[in-house]
Amino acid sequence: MSYELIALLMFSGMMLMMLTGQRVFGAIGFVGSMAGLTLGWPGGSEIPFTSIMKLMQWYSLVSLPMFIFMGYVLAESKIADDLYKMFHVWMGGTSGGLAIGTILLMVLISAMNGLSVAGMAIGATIALPELLKRNYDKIMVTGVIQAGSSLGILVPPSVVLVLYALIARAPVGQLWLAGIIPGLMMATMFIIYIYVRCRIQPHLGPTLSDEERGQYTRADKIRLLRAGLLPIAIFMIMMVPFVMGLTSLVEASAVGALAAFFAAVFKGRMTREVFEVSVRQTLAITCMFLWIIAAALAFGAIFDGLGAVKAIEALFTEKLGLSPWMILIVMQLSFLIMGTFLDDTAMLVIVAPLYVPLVGALGFDLVWYGVLYTITTQIAYMTPPFGYNLFLMRAMAPPEISLRDIYQSIIPFALVMVLALALVMIFPQLALWLPGYVYGN
Amino acid sequence: MKRVVLTYIRAIDAMNYRIGRVAMYLLFVLIGVLLWSIFMRAMSYSFEGFIPAGWTIEIAKFLLVAYFIVGGPYSMQLGANVRMDLFYGGWSPKQKAWMDAITILFLAFYLGVVLNGAASSLAYALGAHYKLGAWEFFGMLIGSFFTGGFDAAAEHLGRFEATRTWKLPLWPIKLTIALGVILMLLQASSEFLKDLLRIRGEEI
Repeated sequence: MSYELIALLMFSGMMLMMLTGQRVFGAIGFVGSMAGLTLGWPGGSEIPFTSIMKLMQWYSLVSLPMFIFMGYVLAESKIADDLYKMFHVWMGGTSGGLAIGTILLMVLISAMNGLSVAGMAIGATIALPELLKRNYDKIMVTGVIQAGSSLGILVPPSVVLVLYALIARAPVGQLWLAGIIPGLMMATMFIIYIYVRCRIQPHLGPTLSDEERGQYTRADKIRLLRAGLLPIAIFMIMMVPFVMGLTSLVEASAVGALAAFFAAVFKGRMTREVFEVSVRQTLAITCMFLWIIAAALAFGAIFDGLGAVKAIEALFTEKLGLSPWMILIVMQLSFLIMGTFLDDTAMLVIVAPLYVPLVGALGFDLVWYGVLYTITTQIAYMTPPFGYNLFLMRAMAPPEISLRDIYQSIIPFALVMVLALALVMIFPQLALWLPGYVYGN
Repeated sequence: MKRVVLTYIRAIDAMNYRIGRVAMYLLFVLIGVLLWSIFMRAMSYSFEGFIPAGWTIEIAKFLLVAYFIVGGPYSMQLGANVRMDLFYGGWSPKQKAWMDAITILFLAFYLGVVLNGAASSLAYALGAHYKLGAWEFFGMLIGSFFTGGFDAAAEHLGRFEATRTWKLPLWPIKLTIALGVILMLLQASSEFLKDLLRIRGEEI
């Protein structure tokens, strides 16, 4: 059997195993270790274990539990509801204003944690019920929360970019800075879309009633602005020493975790239950991620040994004769397709290593590609039929929102994201200007 | 028979629960180590005689691995592992139990291969002779411990494998991985038995 055929067999075997609904790391680990045993390479049977040792050498992964803990503290302690209130009062007068406020809320939450799940949880539990109560269109609102939460991994800190940095051997600091402008640009595009849509169809996002707006005096409004200081403070405490090179990435993540923890303590929100849930969920989610990474590394090591990277390179450049830009577009399309049924972490660890060397060889900037990669996967997780964000949304949304509503809701936002992706592809400076400026390159 | 199975399930679950609860708090040890590292670096900028604590990097790596390996069984109990629920989500509890009872064997296979790799790597880290297989080596080690105590067992040990920069011995973390994977296998066996009981329609 040729190596290409074995690689293909492994990949399709893994996909099939996934369909049984078993634990993702079991499916990947089984195919990986089976191949390791049967190929008869020296040391092949030890690959599943050596992958764990390899994972241990990826020091940046230590930041993973920190960011997860940070996200759970923010979501569970509900310190974000002040923030929501701030936007509610300030933006309520505009049509579609609460939806716009929700996007802004998501931007601030993204700046305090590195996963999209926390944004989704906060959006679904705090913003969603309020907006529905104010007669906002439920499809619009559902889309807003999913789109907004996707900013979580584009605005620093971002866990996905940490993992990407490990694979592409690119500096995390530059990648994080590279995500800022595209992230803010995407947020602005969402806001423009909501604003225009609500101008045309005001019933989708009614303004707040005069009596509700009359409740707040100017002094109240100013006082509410203080809520915005918290995320800015947490972001600064974590990011400034990191960008200045005083703390390493991992140390910065520990500082961030502590900052979020103390913010909750000072606000009187760190109850026993919040503490228990945050600490327990951090263990649960970290275990889930790291076991998938461990299994995927084993799978990837064998894939690598089979020469899959070379095979894909040959397929794209020689057999199909594509130009560099065509290859880039085909890659993004294949990510979109695979992202609909492959777990995000697994895709990052298995598929990204196949593409990244080729992207580098074609002369593209790997920092820039990290941003493209992140946006693409976010689109993939939002799009039916099997987006992971869709499943999350279904689990968190109130019962009056059906699966059909969720599917329908993301269409306009996914299109906006595709447009953002195209803009970053055409104008690489959107991603590269800020890191170049800060690191003086 | 059912009583024996239930006792086994409860014993394994209780053990892994307790161990997992302890592993859960390693998070704060990890934070502490990282803060120490920041503190020492800050001191070294300000005062003569302080050197940054470089060992924190290696300790933090060890702690992360211990955290997720030893906490793994508890995370299985919490149902934290993602599944592709396209079809799975729509099945009845009994259908799920059937499928799980089969697929957990794949998981056990993977864990078994990891354990086997961990064993030979641990034997190497303890300085075992190349001629021996890993399991033979451990058999001998444990055998002579029971006949001759620590000293006799220690005679089988060779030169310890250590990390490159700070020369920390690697066997503690490898031993942790091996034991953690054994706990994962025990948890998998408990899940398997639970699925069998569910298939027979029994309450757990």
